Parts: sequence; structure tokens; C-alpha cells
Amino acid sequence: MTLHRRTLLRGLFQGSAAVMGVPFLDCFLDSKGQALAATGQRLPTRFSTFFYGLGLTTQLWVPKKTGLDYDTTSQLQPLEPFKKKMNVFSGMRVMVDDNPNFQHWSGNAAIVTGIAPTKASQFDSKTIDQTIADVISRGSRFKTVAAAASGDPKHCYSSLGGANTLPAEPTPLALYTRLFGPGFQDPSKADWKPDPQVMLQQSVLSAVADERKDFMKNLGGTDKDRMDQYFTSVREAEVQIAAELQRPEVVAKVAIPASPGDMVVNYALPNVRQVTPLMAKLGALAMATDQTRVFNLAISEPGSNIYVPGDPLGYHITTHMEAIDQTLGYQPRVAKYNVYSMELLAATLKELDSIPEGDGTLLDHSLVMAYSDQSYAKIHAVDGIPIMLAGNANGRMKTGYHIAGGGAPVSRVGLTVQKIMGLGVDGWGKGSMETKSAYPELLA
Amino acid sequence: MRKKVILAVAALLAASTAIPAWAAASGQVVGLRRLSEQEYRNSIADIFGKDITVQGMFEPQVRMGGLVATSTAVLSVTPTGFESFSKMADAIAIQVTDQKHRAKLVSCTPKSPKEPDDACASEFFSRYGLLLFRRPLTDTELKARVTLARTMTKASGDFYTGLRYGLAELVQSPNFLFRKELGVPAGKVFTLEPYSRASRLSFLMWDTTPDKELLDAAQTGELNSAAGLEKQISRLIASPRLDSGMRAFFSDMLELDTFDNVSKDALIYPKWGGAMAPSAREETLRTTVNLALHDNGDMRDLMTTRKTFINRSMAAIYDVDFTFDSEWMPYEFPKDSGRSGVVTQVSMLSMFSHPGQSSPTKRGVALMDIFLCEPTPTPPANVDFSAINDTSGPLKTVRQRLLAHATTPTCASCHTHSDPIGLSLEGFDTIGQRRLTENGQPIDLTATIKGKTFKDGAGLGQFLHDDPKYPACMARKLYAYGTGLNSEDVETSSFKTAYKTFVDSGYRMRALIKGLAESPEFFNTPAPVSADASNGQTKLALH
Repeated sequence: MTLHRRTLLRGLFQGSAAVMGVPFLDCFLDSKGQALAATGQRLPTRFSTFFYGLGLTTQLWVPKKTGLDYDTTSQLQPLEPFKKKMNVFSGMRVMVDDNPNFQHWSGNAAIVTGIAPTKASQFDSKTIDQTIADVISRGSRFKTVAAAASGDPKHCYSSLGGANTLPAEPTPLALYTRLFGPGFQDPSKADWKPDPQVMLQQSVLSAVADERKDFMKNLGGTDKDRMDQYFTSVREAEVQIAAELQRPEVVAKVAIPASPGDMVVNYALPNVRQVTPLMAKLGALAMATDQTRVFNLAISEPGSNIYVPGDPLGYHITTHMEAIDQTLGYQPRVAKYNVYSMELLAATLKELDSIPEGDGTLLDHSLVMAYSDQSYAKIHAVDGIPIMLAGNANGRMKTGYHIAGGGAPVSRVGLTVQKIMGLGVDGWGKGSMETKSAYPELLA
Repeated sequence: MRKKVILAVAALLAASTAIPAWAAASGQVVGLRRLSEQEYRNSIADIFGKDITVQGMFEPQVRMGGLVATSTAVLSVTPTGFESFSKMADAIAIQVTDQKHRAKLVSCTPKSPKEPDDACASEFFSRYGLLLFRRPLTDTELKARVTLARTMTKASGDFYTGLRYGLAELVQSPNFLFRKELGVPAGKVFTLEPYSRASRLSFLMWDTTPDKELLDAAQTGELNSAAGLEKQISRLIASPRLDSGMRAFFSDMLELDTFDNVSKDALIYPKWGGAMAPSAREETLRTTVNLALHDNGDMRDLMTTRKTFINRSMAAIYDVDFTFDSEWMPYEFPKDSGRSGVVTQVSMLSMFSHPGQSSPTKRGVALMDIFLCEPTPTPPANVDFSAINDTSGPLKTVRQRLLAHATTPTCASCHTHSDPIGLSLEGFDTIGQRRLTENGQPIDLTATIKGKTFKDGAGLGQFLHDDPKYPACMARKLYAYGTGLNSEDVETSSFKTAYKTFVDSGYRMRALIKGLAESPEFFNTPAPVSADASNGQTKLALH
């Protein structure tokens, strides 16, 4: 068996000569050239989210033309290399109905749940990445993995519902260790065999799961929900262990790079710029080797505290304090910060796109949803939050479109995403955001 | 009603002789709190020894009603969090049963090191089960672990491997990771059964799992009598371990975890390096615990004292010579230093500022909430703040710009509430250094709150010192911290007794703790709404 195409990724990880083979053998293609895994199954479609705080500047990012071949605006310029591989959504509405518009929360929570949150910092349902993972993650080691590029594990908008969010890996080292540290089994190893210790761990987990009935006795409603989450987590650990006992489905020829080592991870833009692509790279490798099929990356929290060294206020406070330039008609410093977010998104997509897989790249077999918390951060507006869907989702999503929502509920994007990911859903969202309309022009 | 209480207590006492009181109590669950990282670490260190290392990720907590302790009653364990707990549990169990530790930590010797020994395993699991679950294991629970160990021993051919997996199970069990508080009816309310009392006392005062003596006091029913309670509370308070308990409380109340995501702009403030945040946090904790416990001082003086502890990093910011051999030295600021209590320490000043600029609003909002229990509502969504930031115009100082902005009626209601505190602290920059001018203008440090006018940090300290809302707020937060309730929802009557003890003692911390722990309100909770009666839809009355 020979490798037809081979990519070497060098020098990314602190100068160590990291070498990685193509994580897929091209000999496994079906008659249409579609990628197949060793077992003859199609390569899994992966799902990623990219969260960036504080939106963009409407007059600088929304293209004038809609549909295909739309005009590239100044704030979308960094994404130009991926224009044909992505869709952008403008004018989508977040309808809060009778709930408050929680600043720097309602917008992003509504995008990932289809529901206007009833409480600040809480989700009223499971988030979309978890719903998708329920369906697509079977057999992969981690159901979902998250990373936070400015170093706070709380920067993760993935939840089973309520106040809990799945903690993100706050440094490249932590992310690396989780993915490729102890427990990682290189699927390309010739002498792959299940670790007998793993089987013993499985018995421990089922003993923990057996405590459920007794522990749930006499619990009130809220506490019952909390313990449901705990026992769901136990169940996921069991599934993870079971996955470690199976030879991974995707036969990847991978030499895992050396550990990235300690680095400063905080809100300073130069650091975020260093860390984001590194985390994206690790996430991409994890998806290529089927360690996970769902990867969530956040460059900051909503109300981003990212700052350019020398700017005494930082991004968030600048959105509120910077005056609108009378000539330009917008906030010039804020507009610069906006563009940094798009550059970081482009850097992330680049990492996914640089891993060849079967008939294309990892990005082609992924769906990446990029979203934010506000549209016009200065006044905490949530209508028209810019959303991007990138990747071809294994041929399931048509790309290259600018969809002008015209006030359509933001949940239509989430519904479209779920249909593309192969979930059998007819509708999504609650209240005014309940919808049964996906965007049919994007469904291949 | 009194008769009912006596009956309930009598029932517990009677039960405790034959079967474990916990099993017999068949109480209602009135509280369910996830262990905090520190509680977990302290528990493992106390149960197995300090040389057992605990390494791994703990789920982040969030602040609710001014305390992260409150979120432990709301949060669960996520898949990522459990994965980490599971790995940590196994790593702990490996250490406890390894060659190095087994002689000390496994009290019995198996008949054969290669074969199951149910009697020895049973001894091991009942001993550690009691300490980890903070109550005895029921027969069924014990049997399940012994059976698990037996299976594992057979699979591995090693007795200690069996113990390891059985112990790993205990350490990732919900019964260890969550403190389940059970209540039994006592008249119109519910009161905690003895083991739940033991936990509440121990976590409040020592920030750790109850020790053997406290668990024994629960088992014998001692914790149900006033005299027995008093004895145990006095013992806990007299211990030097009260220090770590109060460090945990003050760290939470003073929001010192805010430092976890504060970054300062190195370009504007090159002095601020990696060591600053932990040093500033430590300075404030040392000052506070020293006043509260070592000096047995008046807690109001926390707002005015010029006594502190500094290390090399803090000395750099305070611009003081550091001429001391050890890492920390006690230090007293001179009278004209402008410093006054913790409100003028680097921690408070820098945590509530922007990366490169001070923020009277941030400082004001935080201090009002922390010390006076007066949270400020979030500003309306559509506010134009740009006037505050324009330094090219006539408004040179933050004060001038802030006042200009606060003349708008919608803004004024909140800003007149929170800004004065912050304005009086404008003599300190974003990293807590003293300054006298801003953009070339002398800084006006006067402030008026609630009709009282004062000037600078010292004036603010004295204002807070004299405001009875400050010690009342501390009592409220301690009650919320101990019970897991949201401080904003706590009825004043719940901590009335404790507060009175605090005032009568001249605001001594030990008196507040003792008054709180001994007051019936500390263990009483409203009757929980039965989950079954309401199809599981109704929230616990407690939460």
C-alpha cells in the first residue's frame, strides 16, 4: 500500500520537525472520487464552530449583491481565499420575544440554540454542536473538543443546557495533551491492539453509571436535570472508552507533532494571533485522525476583551466608547478590530484546508459555523449578526452564496446546518424563532 | 411544633444506634453542591495525605449573587469535566494503592497479594467510603465496591489492582463529587440531618471534608444537640485550619478569582508582569486573614488599615524599598501614602480596571457589590459612551468625562450610585500605582454618596468603615457562602442572629462564624417541593 500524496507539515511546533502524512489513503475512493474510509464508509462530515466577539461593522461587511458572485467587502477581504468554499448570512434576526436582550449573550445563545435565553449566561437547551455530535460522533474518541484562544476555559458556548458550558482547553499545550497525550492511540500503528487496561476502566464506569437510580432518589426538578447531565457525561465517557477499544475507522497516516510547549495565552492580540492557528491546527489534526468530529474554537468571550497593545481600552470598551467618525460614518478603531476577527477566521479555515483528505481537504469534508454575539456592538444590537458557514460538508452544502436574511429568524441558519449535517429534523427554534424553513438553495 | 422537632431528632438518635443515621434519615434532598477545585484538593489531601498529587482540569465556576460558591448549587458536571474527574480519580487510586503508599494507607494485608480478599477490601472501602462520601456507605454500596474489586483482582491477578479500581470508582462517584444535603422535617421547616450538618460546618470553616471526629459526632447524634454542636463548632474555630477556610471565603467574597482573566497592557504598563496577579491576590488574602484571625481585629478596619504584607513584586508597584530576607514582609504604609485598607490595594484597583486605563465605573460597581451587597443593574443596551472617551476636547480627566455622561437621566440613576466610589480612587492608575495628575490636570478625588462627602481612598475607606451595610453585607455573604444560596435572595432574617453576634463582639470574624454556625437558620431550609408531586417540573424551594 503506497501513499499517493503526502503532505509534510514542518516547523509549526516550536521548531521541531513535525512530519505528518496525509491522513487518508487515496486508494480508497469510490467511483465518483468521493472519499472513503478503510472500511468502505464515506469519510465522516465534521462540524466546527468559530466564535468571535462583537460582530462586524454593517456598512463595511454586508455585500451589496446577494446570491452567487457577490461583491467582496472590505471586512470580508481576509476571507477572499475561501469565498468559493463558504456562505455568508446578513440580516438574520434574533427575536427575543418577551425575554430581555441580555447584553453579549442573547445573540450568541440564540444562534446556537434557536431559543432566546431566559437567563443571562445560561442556555435554554442543548447547543447545536452537541445535537449534531449526538448524531455524528459515534465511534470517535471525543464527542466534542473545545479550545479557547485567549486562555479562559469558560470561553466555550457548547452546553447540554443550563449554566454549564463544556470547558475549553485554554492553551495549545492543554489541547495537545488532551488529544495526543495519554490515551491517544495512533491509528496508523501496524501493531494496533486494544489496551487491556481500558477494559478495566470500562467496568469502573459502568459501576458509576449503576449509582444513577439511588442517587436520583428524592431529587427536585432542577437537581434532577443537573444529575441527568452528570450521568450523560458518565455515559459519554463509556462511549469514549469503547471507541478506544476499536481501531479508529479513518486510517490516517499521521506522525503526531511534538508538544507545543508552554506559551503565553491571553487577550493581547499578538498572542491570540499566534495561538488561534495553532489551536486550529491541532483541532484539524484531531478531526483528521478521528479523535473527534466536532471542534469548537472561540477566540474570545462575547464582549471580547482582546486588545491591541497600546490601546488602553481594548476591543469591548472601544465599541462602546469610540465616537462615530462623522466623515466615515462608523467607528474606525472598532472596524479595525472587526477585521482582526475575520483574519483569525481565515487563519482557522486555512488550517482545515491545508490537510488533504481523499478527494479534497479536511475543510471540504467539514461544516464550519462562524458566529458572534452582536451585530452593532456599540448599542448591543442583535439583528444582523454576521454568520458564516464554510466548507463543503462532504458535498452536502452548496457554497459561494451571500444570503440576505431580510429579517428572517436566525434559527433558519441553524436548521440549515442540521439538515446539511444529516440530522432528521423538520423544524428548530422556539417562539418567534421557531422555523421549518431551511435555505434550500444551500442543500446539495 | 417543638414536640415535632424533638420527635424528629429522637428518631434520628434512635436510628443512629442500629443502622447508620444517614440511611435511616430517608430525608429529602435539600441541597446538591458540586465540590469546588479547592474543596476537592483539600479533601484528597486530608483523606490520603498531602503527597498524593492531584493533577488535571477542573470545570470552571461562575459567579452568582457575588459568590462562586453559589454556582456550586447550580452547576453540574459536563462530559469534558467528567472525563477529567475520571482520570484524576484513577491517578489518585493508583497512588494510594502503589508500593510506596499501601503500607500506610491500606490498613489490612490480604491473605494473598494475588487473590481477592473480601474482608480486607471491605475494611478498605468502608474506611475511605466514609471519608469520601462524608457518611457511611450503605451495605449495598459497600458490597458493590467489594464485588468490583474482586472482579478486577481476578482479571488482573493482583489484589491491589482490585482496590485501585474500586477506589477510583468512589472518587469519581457523584456521592463524592457532589455534596448531597438531606433534610428531615422539623416543624414547618426542614433541618439538615447530622452528616449533612458535619459537611456544612467543615466546608464553611476549613474548606474541606469533615474529619473523623466530626463524622463521629454526626454518627452519635452529637450534632443534633445544642451542646454537641457548640463543642464541635468551638473545636473547628479554635483550629489553625480556620485560616484555610477563611482564605477560601475571602477569596470568593473579594472576587480575587477575577485575576484569572485580567491582562494588563505591557506596552503601557511594562511593570506589570506575570508575578503581579498572584502577588496582589496573596497580599489581600494575607491582610484580610491576618486582621480577621491573627489579630482578632475589628473587621471594619479592613477598610482603613494601613497594615499590609508585601513581596518584591508589590513593593515595585507601591514604590517601596524591599529589604527583607523572606518572600513576604509585614509593612505599614505611611500616613500620607493615600492607602487605606484593601480598597486601595493593587488587587482591587487592578482587577476592576481596563487593560491600560483605570475605570471609576468598574471599580465603583465592583466595590458596591462586594462590600455593600448593592449590585448595579446592567446599563441599557443603547447608550452612547463616546463622550467619555474623547480626550481631545475640553474634558481632560476621566471624572470630567464621566460626569458629562452621567447628566443623562437614564444613565444618572446608576452612575450616581456607583461612580463616586470609583472617582475617589482615581488617585491610583490601572495597576494600582499612585498618581496625582491625569493628562496634565490635577485629579479631583472628592465624592458624595448618600449625602456624605469625602475625599480620596482614605475617605472612601472611612466611609465604608462607618457604613453598617458593610458588616451586614459580610454576614449575608458568609451565610450564602455556607449554604449555597444566592446572596441576593437571602432573607435578612436568616442571618440576623449571626449579625447580632458580630456587632456585639465588636465585629470579630470568629464571632460571626460562631454566631452563624450556631444559629438554627444555618441548618434549616424551607420544605422542599416534592419532585414527584409536581411531575419533576417544580424547582426545589431552596434554589
